[in-house]
Amino acid sequence: MQAADSVATAEPLIAAEDIKKHFRVTSGFVFRKTVGQVRAVDGVSFSIPQGETYSLVGESGCGKTTTAKVVLLVEALTSGRLQFRGRDIQSFNADQLNEYRESVQAVFQDPWSSLNPRLKIESIIAEPLTAHRRLTKAELRSQILSLLEEVGLHPSHAYRYPHEFSGGQRQRIAIARALALRPKLIVLDEPVSALDVSIRAQIMNLLKQLQIDHNLSYLLIAHQLATVRYMSHRVGVMYLGKIVEEADSQELFRNPHHPYTRALISASLSSRPGVEREEIVLTGEVPSPIDPPPGCTFHPRCPSVFEPCADEVPQLQTVGPGHTVTCHLY
Amino acid sequence: MNNDTLLEVRDLQTHFFTRTGVVKAVDGVSFDLNRGETLGIVGESGSGKSMTALSLMRLVPEPGGRTVGGSIMFDGEDLLLKGRDEMSDIRGRDICMILQDPMTSLNPVLSIGDQLIETFRPDGREAAKSLWDRGVELLRKVRIPAADIRMRAYPHQMSGGMRQRVVGAIAISRSPKLLIADEPTTSLDATIQLQYLRLLKDIQEQTGAAIIFITHDFGIVARMCDRVAVMYGGKIVEIADVSELFYNPKHPYTEALLGSVPDLEEDVDWLTSISGQPPQLDNMPPGCSFEPRCPYAFERCTEEYPREFTISDKHLASCWRLDDAGC
Repeated sequence: MQAADSVATAEPLIAAEDIKKHFRVTSGFVFRKTVGQVRAVDGVSFSIPQGETYSLVGESGCGKTTTAKVVLLVEALTSGRLQFRGRDIQSFNADQLNEYRESVQAVFQDPWSSLNPRLKIESIIAEPLTAHRRLTKAELRSQILSLLEEVGLHPSHAYRYPHEFSGGQRQRIAIARALALRPKLIVLDEPVSALDVSIRAQIMNLLKQLQIDHNLSYLLIAHQLATVRYMSHRVGVMYLGKIVEEADSQELFRNPHHPYTRALISASLSSRPGVEREEIVLTGEVPSPIDPPPGCTFHPRCPSVFEPCADEVPQLQTVGPGHTVTCHLY
Repeated sequence: MNNDTLLEVRDLQTHFFTRTGVVKAVDGVSFDLNRGETLGIVGESGSGKSMTALSLMRLVPEPGGRTVGGSIMFDGEDLLLKGRDEMSDIRGRDICMILQDPMTSLNPVLSIGDQLIETFRPDGREAAKSLWDRGVELLRKVRIPAADIRMRAYPHQMSGGMRQRVVGAIAISRSPKLLIADEPTTSLDATIQLQYLRLLKDIQEQTGAAIIFITHDFGIVARMCDRVAVMYGGKIVEIADVSELFYNPKHPYTEALLGSVPDLEEDVDWLTSISGQPPQLDNMPPGCSFEPRCPYAFERCTEEYPREFTISDKHLASCWRLDDAGC
């Protein structure tokens, strides 16, 4: 509801237009030649308004993480446009790029490997601040302490090492580090899936609260659909490097159109016994992105496959307000 | 023990002896399991669920770990009294562990056929041809197409789903009475996970084996299990039939855990979260282990671990709040 209004009105913070990221597959040692292209991200468009969460869901290998890496400027685009506040990132000079990097931060899945074990929490959180800002020691200290408080940790925690903390607390530290530069967008790559069940809700609630407090935007990557539904305003379902369906979170889960979305929802287990779901059996696995099937890339696994699917690439169709799907059925 | 009971665990104690003290990883666990039944053991990391499974298999890591008390009656015999060789016979024949991750549980340099035949423990008396046929038969049982050809394939030539089936085939090769499925923390895609759960159900129908699911995922429990035991701090805090536990939880931990899982069916604005951190086994509170995180805790909880209260025939929970309820 909330999301539907703002999508129409607000200017997006970040917008991806037909972005592609292909990786070359080479063979041979001395005479290297390109034998193929992995189309990890193959024409993805989305936009995230300020203060909202956009989620990418799909099976492993569908390109969600590569998309996130492109947004984080870890991977360079093969083609397409990435816009930040209406301006093309390709045209940015060094200062503007620096500013972009400040505004876009990340929290990763595994808080055991994303924190340097040899640094105290104090130094971990200070790192982005000393790299981007000129602060006196006292300023730095007070910022670190207020960040710790904001994520629900005690000031005394600043002088401990990562191994002294549990998974949930480490994830809080990672969030504090991401918040340090007061970013506009945080990329959340499976932020809770490595945590214990009783801790997941704590972290999800913390992220939601921070979003409200700071008007943050999130790009969330998750494979657990219930998490996605709880966290997001808008959801894009990815399959083999393409977004096959996109809608507001409620709409997508109540009224899924694409056979792949339906299969994903049917495969995710209900957290209550006795809830019967329509059973859609997907056979096989995601095909190789080096040599994707012709026509609709989903057709070899699709339960509702029919004539045009193997030959023609389906076009994007609008099936409701803010609800698009790429499938020959519509 | 009546005839339907396959497994009767009583007051199982597995401790780890470390320089800083004794860690009670499994601290007085008791439960029964019937033939063909599926029991889920749910808990967070460090709750003792995996160590319970390893204790049943007598595979507690040594040195350091030891099962120091209790009994495990399996099919009328106490596994804790078995010798090393006897136990090694029981593992693989009567009790099988099945791992969810097919990528790491197959040997990459042996063909599928070799790995299957290995599980029959050929003693040289059976002809190679007949062993081969038994392998093919098993692959057919888990619905692998072109089983003949697949016998010669290596794990890397098969898809993840196929490999899962091979692991399943190995697990049922000697018709075990009990399968223990310990879910590693790595997460599978929902579609692949569903295929795996179906396979397990299939295997259970064909062999009539009982299954113990070690998991932290209530979705798996809701879908697969007949009964659930919830573990916290090395103890079972509540055990009941699946729907009873989900819709009528009595222990505050179970209740909070259920409330903290987002649901795909409904929109929730805020999840109830459990405050605090899971307990550290080497530094347990003197009373109830959940007391520091429990919203209902009162004085008695800080002093004494609650005894087990019987809510109904098959529903047990350990919480002092039930004392007033007259259970």
